[in-house]
Amino acid sequence: MKNFSVWKTTLKIVFVILILFLMIGPLVGIVLWSFAMRWYWPSPVPQDFTLRYWIDVFKQGRVLDSIILSSVIALITVGLSLLFAIPAAYGFARYKIPAERLFLTLFLMPQAFPQLPIFINLAGMFGKIGLRGNMWGIVLAHTMASLVFSVWIITATFKSIPIELEQAAQNLGASKFKTFWSITFPLSIPGLISGAIFVFLWSLGEFTAAFFIGAPFIQTAPVLMYTASMGYNMQIASVISIILVIPSLLFMILIQRYLKAEYISGLGG
Amino acid sequence: MQQKLRSNFTGFLFILPALAVLACLYVFPLLRAIWISFLDKSGNISLANYQKVFEFYLRDILYSVAISGLTVVTALVISVVIASYLRFKEWKFLDYMYRLPLFIPFLIVGHAMRIFLAPHGTMNSLLTRIFMVEELPGLSTSWVGLLWSFTWIMTPFATLIVLGAFKALDSSYVEAAQNLGASKLKIVFSILIPLSRSSIMVAMILTFVRTISSLTIPIMVGPNSPTVITVDMMFRVNYFNDWGVANGLGVVSYLIVMVLAIYYLRFMISERGGIKG
Repeated sequence: MKNFSVWKTTLKIVFVILILFLMIGPLVGIVLWSFAMRWYWPSPVPQDFTLRYWIDVFKQGRVLDSIILSSVIALITVGLSLLFAIPAAYGFARYKIPAERLFLTLFLMPQAFPQLPIFINLAGMFGKIGLRGNMWGIVLAHTMASLVFSVWIITATFKSIPIELEQAAQNLGASKFKTFWSITFPLSIPGLISGAIFVFLWSLGEFTAAFFIGAPFIQTAPVLMYTASMGYNMQIASVISIILVIPSLLFMILIQRYLKAEYISGLGG
Repeated sequence: MQQKLRSNFTGFLFILPALAVLACLYVFPLLRAIWISFLDKSGNISLANYQKVFEFYLRDILYSVAISGLTVVTALVISVVIASYLRFKEWKFLDYMYRLPLFIPFLIVGHAMRIFLAPHGTMNSLLTRIFMVEELPGLSTSWVGLLWSFTWIMTPFATLIVLGAFKALDSSYVEAAQNLGASKLKIVFSILIPLSRSSIMVAMILTFVRTISSLTIPIMVGPNSPTVITVDMMFRVNYFNDWGVANGLGVVSYLIVMVLAIYYLRFMISERGGIKG
């Protein structure tokens, strides 16, 4: 019996090491590179460490600019996305809408088909009206693409609030708007926040739309990271990567509760 | 009746702003893609772009489908294993670890994998020491590296869906089988998987669509030739300024996922998808 349990413990340790190697291993590489001054094969760690590239982030310059730009785009996108998603989600959650299947299909389609052709054509369209190479072009593309998942997160939130609460308020004489403002809205704040976080994170790390629409003047943090990585400037690329990953990991812990697969199928690229 | 009509219309007004955004920024570009793919260089309607697509890119199209198909298989096998384990046993460590890649932007995964899987990357630096060898081949410029990266990023997502389905099943089936002496392996194959068929199907479809439409992973990892169609589209636009062929490739990518996408949309809209119901 004792033998058996020793064998089991060993097996478990082997699995833990294997899982750590597979899941954490790729991230260790970028952390090491972000502090590397010189790193030549076959040394397992960099020969010289430096904080230079991290200090660069906080100094005025390309890296700082791109991160600020990405954050501003992400914040505006969150605002616009919620502005359009909240009424739409309320409509889907509380009303029977004519030709509902058609509209539901439309709101789900961007998840089910590749996004790249859409972004390429948005870049082409925006080029004609001066929105290419312009921050607002990226904001518009991000708003459209994030709408698809923010609408579903918020619809689920509204549906989880019992309709009886709204009916009770209306029976007591509250107007429809007052009912929404003082009953439905406060109860849906956790869902709205998780929707906002999703949109923020997605927009912050989004590359494809930012690359095609931002070209040639606008460099968001992911686009700068791509340029740096392609030019074998591993340190800059790694520093930006870590800065973009930290909020994702923090928020993932925060929004565990709202983690449903359907919502995040729009993420990625 | 009057009341019902009005509430219909109010609901429509609520979704109207979002609908307008999707119409201008999604439906219009989509139709534009199809339209431009049928225009030749001088603006006449022709199939010239599609001729070029199949002349130059047939190999890449097949390669994209093969890589996406392989990713679906590996991600699905791993996710069923993880989900089955977590269905019967609680292991917090695994529970957190499998979810780690969920929110990491694809581009960063690409960069991390480029460093991890390079010939002189962090993985080989460790493995050469363990196995006491001089050199190991790098995976970052081979299709294996691309498959590896895609699997890394797609598996947590598939696991989330499969595990959700496994946990939603009525546990009395599982208990009954256990009482009759069925092994866990048998329960997984004859109860859990068959009863979660539709969720597994959705996991497969979303994995396939997300893999074949990803640009950011294959521009960082994998061979230059053959390459996937999204990278071809990017080159067509950026280096040749050839929007016709790029859109032709885009339409082809839509046709490839068409059947799967329709199945997915129907599933999500029907009550079992749970968005409306």
